[in-house]
Amino acid sequence: MMNISALNFIHKIGKFGDHNGKNDETLLKVSELNKLLIFQIAKFKNSDFDISKIKVDGLNLPSSLKSSSNSNTRVLWFGPDNWLVFSSDLNLIEKEKKQFNELDFAITDISHSRAIIELEGNLVNEVLKKGCPLDINSFKEGDCANSVYNGITVTIDFVSDNPKKVRISGLRSFGESLHHSITDSCLEFGYKSI
Amino acid sequence: MLNINCPYCGDRSQKEFAYGGDATVKRPELNKEVSDEKWNEFIYLRKSPRGKHIELWHHIAGCRQWFKVQRDTVTHEIFKTAKMNEEIK
Repeated sequence: MMNISALNFIHKIGKFGDHNGKNDETLLKVSELNKLLIFQIAKFKNSDFDISKIKVDGLNLPSSLKSSSNSNTRVLWFGPDNWLVFSSDLNLIEKEKKQFNELDFAITDISHSRAIIELEGNLVNEVLKKGCPLDINSFKEGDCANSVYNGITVTIDFVSDNPKKVRISGLRSFGESLHHSITDSCLEFGYKSI
Repeated sequence: MLNINCPYCGDRSQKEFAYGGDATVKRPELNKEVSDEKWNEFIYLRKSPRGKHIELWHHIAGCRQWFKVQRDTVTHEIFKTAKMNEEIK
């Protein structure tokens, strides 16, 4: 697993943009999530394995455009018969590997390959709308979607509605561009980088 | 800007998709003799119809699935979309 954060040289702590005179509590918050285990579960096309038997950290594999979660782990639908797991339990892949038959599933550790930015605050939807063509208001807590943000392919996980919180993940190599895009969109509202 | 109804993800902006060409082209059968003319036709020759056309699109920034789209090449109106194993009539 890669220990160096994808945004190590770019994510600076502080307040930026139009934050003067605004309440700290209501200010947009931008943070980077790292030190997570990320792995992809792909069920082969010719497999007829019943996925309802699978539990990852006690969570079902969600249906299209949905996610399932507990305090450690989030499982996101990533495409038909394809899921992405984010977990703070770094041994999860070893624990869960046994239930995935090699003839039915491919499990790939991609912890090193993604940059994750978390946005929190009432204006999160406005920030997303600036760069993403999705109908953002129709997405609620427990939804997820793959899309683009200013041309960069991203996965958006709608973590919570109150407080409004989303996680945007993109390929690590696009991490710095994605961070620029998102923080540029936040400048108008003012944001706190944590 | 087009909106395309992905059979897996629903209505999405064209920004998330890549065009994949004519969906009606059939590859010559495997392990059978094929003439140079037929092979040339399969590789290079494409129709350029005016009106309804069935195309392949790839939801490259979404679910990464290929699917079929019936689109009017003049008005860009999209009539139907279907999974690869489904027919558009």
